[in-house]
Amino acid sequence: MKFRLLAGLALLCLARTLSAQSFVNDTIQEVVITATGTNHLLKDAPVQTEVITSKMLRNYSGRSIEEILGGLAASFAFSEDDMGSHLQMNGLGNSYILILIDGKRIHGDVGGENDLSLIDPQNIEKIEIVKGASSALYGSDAIAGVINIITRKHRNEGLLLENSTRYGSYNDIRQHNAIGLNFGKLSSLTNFQLQHSDGWQNTATEYTTGTEPPIYDSANKTVNRHTNAQLAQQFTWKPKKDLELYAGGSIYGKRIYRPCGKYARFDVHTYDLQYRNASASMGGKLALEGNDYVSFDLDWNRHAYMYYFTATTLVEDYEKSKGTIYYPYYPYLPDQTELQSDQQRTMANLKGVFSLPGGNLLNTGGEFRYDWLNAPTRVEGQKVADWTGAIYAQDEWKREFGKGNLIYLAGGVRFNLNRQFGFSFTPKFSAMLGLGKPWRIRATWSEGFKTPTPKELHYRYVKQMGGTWLYLGNLSLRPQTSDYFSLSGEYTLRSLMVTVTGYYNSVKDMITLVTIPNYQAPAEYIIQYDPIKTRQYQNVEDARTKGVDFNIRYSFKEFATSLGYSWLDTDANQYDSGHDRMHQVIIDGTAHHKGTFSLTWNHRFSPVYALGTGLHGRMSSMRYYQDNGNGKGYQIWRLTTSHDFGSFKKTTLRAEAGIDNIFNYVDRAPHGLHLGTTTPGRTFYVSMSVRFSQGKKFGKIKSNITDSNKQSNEDN
Amino acid sequence: MKTIKSLAIAMMALLMAASCSDINPGNNYAVYQDAVNKTVKKEKKSDKVILLVAFGSTWQQAFDAFDETVAAYKSKFSGYDVFLSYSSAICINRAAAGENAADGAEVRNYYAPPFWLNAFAQKGVQYKEIVVQSLQVIPGEEYTRVINYIKDFANNANGDISDEYLSKVVLKLGVPLLQDEEKDVKDVAKALNDLYKNQASKDVVAFMGHGNPDSYDTYKANVRYTQLEEALQALSPNYFVGTVDMMENFKTHVYERMVAAGLNTGSKKVYLHPLMSIDGDHGHNDMAGDDLPEKFEGKSYTIADLLAEANDEGEVEDCSWKVFFGAKGSGFVCDNSTMIEKGLLELTSIRQIWINHTQDAINGEPLDYYHSKNPE
Repeated sequence: MKFRLLAGLALLCLARTLSAQSFVNDTIQEVVITATGTNHLLKDAPVQTEVITSKMLRNYSGRSIEEILGGLAASFAFSEDDMGSHLQMNGLGNSYILILIDGKRIHGDVGGENDLSLIDPQNIEKIEIVKGASSALYGSDAIAGVINIITRKHRNEGLLLENSTRYGSYNDIRQHNAIGLNFGKLSSLTNFQLQHSDGWQNTATEYTTGTEPPIYDSANKTVNRHTNAQLAQQFTWKPKKDLELYAGGSIYGKRIYRPCGKYARFDVHTYDLQYRNASASMGGKLALEGNDYVSFDLDWNRHAYMYYFTATTLVEDYEKSKGTIYYPYYPYLPDQTELQSDQQRTMANLKGVFSLPGGNLLNTGGEFRYDWLNAPTRVEGQKVADWTGAIYAQDEWKREFGKGNLIYLAGGVRFNLNRQFGFSFTPKFSAMLGLGKPWRIRATWSEGFKTPTPKELHYRYVKQMGGTWLYLGNLSLRPQTSDYFSLSGEYTLRSLMVTVTGYYNSVKDMITLVTIPNYQAPAEYIIQYDPIKTRQYQNVEDARTKGVDFNIRYSFKEFATSLGYSWLDTDANQYDSGHDRMHQVIIDGTAHHKGTFSLTWNHRFSPVYALGTGLHGRMSSMRYYQDNGNGKGYQIWRLTTSHDFGSFKKTTLRAEAGIDNIFNYVDRAPHGLHLGTTTPGRTFYVSMSVRFSQGKKFGKIKSNITDSNKQSNEDN
Repeated sequence: MKTIKSLAIAMMALLMAASCSDINPGNNYAVYQDAVNKTVKKEKKSDKVILLVAFGSTWQQAFDAFDETVAAYKSKFSGYDVFLSYSSAICINRAAAGENAADGAEVRNYYAPPFWLNAFAQKGVQYKEIVVQSLQVIPGEEYTRVINYIKDFANNANGDISDEYLSKVVLKLGVPLLQDEEKDVKDVAKALNDLYKNQASKDVVAFMGHGNPDSYDTYKANVRYTQLEEALQALSPNYFVGTVDMMENFKTHVYERMVAAGLNTGSKKVYLHPLMSIDGDHGHNDMAGDDLPEKFEGKSYTIADLLAEANDEGEVEDCSWKVFFGAKGSGFVCDNSTMIEKGLLELTSIRQIWINHTQDAINGEPLDYYHSKNPE
């Protein structure tokens, strides 16, 4: 803690010496941790890190993490549906992106898609994005990159009460509540978040082919009605100055409502989707000499996914208690649930950061992870388990030379022991060259890996989605591995920051669902569900993404502008089992050109009122898919306003209002075809935040020291 | 705020609720069976019953074909109640739910065969004679499921039927359309020829059956398609019978036989016709759909290009029969105008053969499945 405090104070002093607390300066003075697991000023981080700052988040006022990332970072793409957000970063999907919340892995997925509603959009302090493989530090999944969601911390208030309510078109409700208490050495923080939308329908037309009669009055929605809520509690205890211990937990529930129409083949649904999550965690951090520290964390997470039946539903081949009771048919009645999968994970982490002689900083640690999956209807044998143990070490070495020049090297390696695959070894090397104050050149070579998930190894289930599909796991899967190379240049001068990054990511033994001929599938399924198509998880031989990300940020007086552009090209060699030969394809969802733009103006009219306005744009060229059409290119513009009302003694008030998709762009491709974007067209939102705080140290949020907007609010 | 409050309360309740409802399997069964029991009780007019068993479909055209079939059976077998069941749970669920159910109209409760059979045995109903009629085309894998339903019922697999009743009830089984390799095959060939002889006189008529995958051709029933083609070709050489699942008899093989017969003159049309009880997914998509392998979309291609895409088994996947036979260079004309979108149950003369099978079953000896789960 001592280290953090000193670092914080140092940064504060540094920040205060800058002539203008500009938008750009806010960004480069951010302290980032994700790339190396050690704290760095963004401009001096040895690995290129992209930060969505607190100020950007507040200016943008996104309703969800999907909207925030999609609107503020050009390399992201989404296509939300019932099965998830279908997040892509630089061409690779959610399965290859590690999402962390305060440095801890998000847990639970459906088909490789994390449930991003677990992230409360109104409780995000900032988002750090490190592109490319980071498996040496984080282990499995960090192939396309790492997104670290840093939540807001409230450790210094005697009493904190906070409520944010955002209301928008389609009954979109986002609510965030926090209660924080500090009793001497013990503090407590309770968070509650609620998210709801009625969903929307962009088209009532179904995609029908050949002699199928057309359908123009489908009940299927583009995005279905959904509600989720989360309650989280954390206690922190500081028994000594240099020791902090915590324990906490959370519960979460989500339901996706599926409307039911009259076309049995298209829009009749007899069940909704439901999620139940829970987590418990404990850990601590011991400050050592200087900036050194040791931390440990123990986490347990559960993610259960179930069908919630809305009409009487018969299932075939029902087995209960591992085959002891068998029914050829089994009826579920309305309001009953059927568990589809229950993923539980226990992780133990030990980490130490130590300063070594000669300008070295060592970050080392170990991790043990145990995964347990219960999927009665989807896994052969119903329950499976997997474990991985790992140790890692990373050294950073920094030396200054000449006048204001700097060289910074970071190298790390991880040894893994996995139940399925035995030992593996993953390295990462990064280098940064600082030439004077404005120039930073960074290069990275890193390997990534992803162990096959229990699902990929063991799944076996049938799903209705535009026809009947049989999904099969594969016990002979190998871990996926990747090589990532990037070279980036950064130029910063007062109010201008320009970064250009070129990258090449080569993923080998990539696991994906491949349509296989029915004769390779278990015949009993083919007969029972015919007509059916079969997909199996396979190590497709390789896939490559290459691209250039360009960012420019500039601020002038009260104006700030940023422009992001991402060029991407992908190709994958998929094994075509029907022909025993390779088949070259573009990765599904690839758009060659994506961009973001924003222009903001902030002005304080009086001590009691400050106005912020913003114009934000996001655009994408056509998204390419192998089947069911390509997603159309689009551009969407958003107008935001924020209104800060200050000068109440213990209470701060903030209101926001805006229009998203000003020009009312809607992709009305029929259901069953891919959309470029699922936006419902022009929407409106208003939000109100009230914050009451009493007690010592109110108003200092450490990682936010240069955020002038927040600072001015909280100083009021 | 009110909405928010109520939502919050609802979500909290959701969160606090037990993670999984504890379902008593017996109770679910009782509730579901009760619905079937009530349907049967309400509609019972006779002491004999016919249960028609189909795989099922969710196409409106199929619903209509099944309705007509039930009407035809009711008219032919006046002393019998007639019900129709699906063996596919997905089809049952989708037919029963949706707006149809909400509006109270057009609810189609097809139920699965075991529930119907149990309902027939319930106290106060107890049909004296139960005739199960398979609506399958060949005596293959689906048909064995039908047999097993009857065996389970006759052997009181769930233990909830009166043994005394089971020892008395007369059980009969009507066989599939092409059960008999001589008579049925010949009768079906004749009926089809009577309907399509005009087309076959100058053009080609190809029927698309389903068939069983090779590993599941347990009863060697796939051979019926070959036998039917032979019987049809005895009437006209321009008839062909292929399948979507039978080895060595995919569309590519049908095409080879057409070419070997020298029919690919460039002027002949290929009429396509489902050889399935109803015209559903396979008929509309695999046969008459527009599926074309992705690599050829928006490009010109020939039949040779398509044939080069054939898998190890000789089938060109993701390609409809219409697109395949209509491909450039095939030597045939095949397009929307040559699709005959009719299921076999929609053809009165073919339906009559099923009806004859039911009559034969009624006239024949009852099944002796009681206390014999696996009779010869």
